[in-house]
Amino acid sequence: MESDIILVIVVVTALGFDFTNGFHDTANVVATGISTRALPPKLAVTLAAILNFVGAFLSLEVAATVAKDIVNPAAVTMTIVFAGLIGAIVWNLITWYYGLPSSSSHALIGGLVGAAFVAEGADSIIGAGLVGRVMVPAVIAPILAFLVAGISIVLIYRIVGRLRPGPVNRGFRVGQWASSGLLALSHGTNDAQKTMGIITLALVAHGSIDADNFEVPGWVVFASASAIALGTYSGGWRIIRTMGSRIIKMDPAQGFAAQGAGAAAILAASHSGFPLSTTHTISGAVMGSGAAKRLSAVRWGVAGNMVIAWVLTVPAAATISAATYGLTTLFGDGAVGPLVVSLVALAGLLSVFLRRVRRGPALTAAEI
Amino acid sequence: MSLLTIVDVEALWRTTWTAAVAGVGICLVFTFAVLGLTRSSDMRRDDRPALAVLYGLLAAAGMLGTLAGVIYGVALITT
Repeated sequence: MESDIILVIVVVTALGFDFTNGFHDTANVVATGISTRALPPKLAVTLAAILNFVGAFLSLEVAATVAKDIVNPAAVTMTIVFAGLIGAIVWNLITWYYGLPSSSSHALIGGLVGAAFVAEGADSIIGAGLVGRVMVPAVIAPILAFLVAGISIVLIYRIVGRLRPGPVNRGFRVGQWASSGLLALSHGTNDAQKTMGIITLALVAHGSIDADNFEVPGWVVFASASAIALGTYSGGWRIIRTMGSRIIKMDPAQGFAAQGAGAAAILAASHSGFPLSTTHTISGAVMGSGAAKRLSAVRWGVAGNMVIAWVLTVPAAATISAATYGLTTLFGDGAVGPLVVSLVALAGLLSVFLRRVRRGPALTAAEI
Repeated sequence: MSLLTIVDVEALWRTTWTAAVAGVGICLVFTFAVLGLTRSSDMRRDDRPALAVLYGLLAAAGMLGTLAGVIYGVALITT
C-alpha cells in the first residue's frame, strides 16, 4: 500500500515535470516561427502542442537510455526517482526565475544521478552511459546545430540572396510551417521520452516491471505525451504577449534554417537514443543562423549565460536531489517523506512562480 | 578507461552526419523550390514562358524533394 502511494506521488511528480518541460520550452519551439510572422501565434502554439503529442509516440530509444543507461535500474528505489525529479524541478525553477536558458533534460539526469549517488553510492551510477550517451552528445548537439544552421543560411543567401525579397520571404514563411512542425515533433520525441524513462524506472523500482526485460507501458507513453502537449499549450500564451518586444530581428530564411537544423539534430539524436538538451540545440541553431549573417546579431552575453547554466545544471540538480533524498528519508522509508517533500515543493513552486510572473518573462532561445 | 571506449562513436558519428546531411540538404532543396517559384514568376512577367515553365519545374521538384525528405526522415525514426 505504502509503495503504491509513493508510486502515485512519483508518477504525478514526473508528469508535473513533463508539463513544466513543455511550458518552459514552448518559447524555443514557437518563437522563431512567430517572430518571422510565418505563423500566427495562436496557431503556432496549438500546432506545437499537437505535434509535441504526436512526437512522443515516434520512438522509445531515449526512454530506454534514461531508464537503463544512466543509473543501475536494479539499485534504484522510488524515493531516489522522486528525489531526482524534485532536484530537477527545483533547478528548473531557479534557472527560470533568473532567466537562464538551462536544460530540463540535464537537470533531470543530474537529479537522478545525485539521488542515486547519495542513496546507493557511486556503483549505482553507470559512468559510461552518463558520459557516453549524455554528456558527450550534449556538447556536440548545440555545436552541430550551430554549424548546420550557419552553413544552411550561407547557402540559402548564395542561392536566393539577389532575388526580390518579397517572394523569397513569402516562400520561406511557407517553409517555416514545415520546419516549425518538425521542430515541435522533434521536441516531443526527445523530451517526452525522458519522462517516460523516469516513470518506467519508478515502475521497475515498484516491482511492476521486470528490471531485466522491461518495456515502456502504453499508458506511460500516452500520459507523458499528454503532459508535455498540455504544458506546451499553456506555456505559449505568456510568450505571445512579449513576443514583439524582445526577439531579435530574424528573416524567414534564417528562421527556416534554424528550425530545420534544430529539428534534424534532435530527430537524429532521438533515433540513436541520445537524451539531448532541446533548449541548447535549438539555441545553437538560432545562434548559427544569426552569426552566419552577422556576428553582432547574436546576443553573446545570453550565449555565455547558456554555457554557465550548462556547466552548473548537472552538479546543481544533483546536489539539490541529494539533499531532497536526505530530507525525504528523515521521515523513514514510507510514503510520509515523499508526501511532505512534495507538499513543501508545491508551496515553494507556487510562491516562486507568482514572484517571477510579477517580474516579467525570461529570455527565450529566439532572443539569443 | 578512455573516452573513446565509453562513447558509442559509431552511433554518435551516424547521428552527426545524418543531422548535417538532413539539415543542410532539406534547406538546400527547399531553397531551390523558392528560387524556382520566384524566378518562374519573374519570367512570366517578362513574357518568357519557356523559362517560366523550367523554373516552375524546378520549384515543383524542390517542393517534392523537401516533402519526400521530411517523410523519409520521420519514417526512419519510427522504424
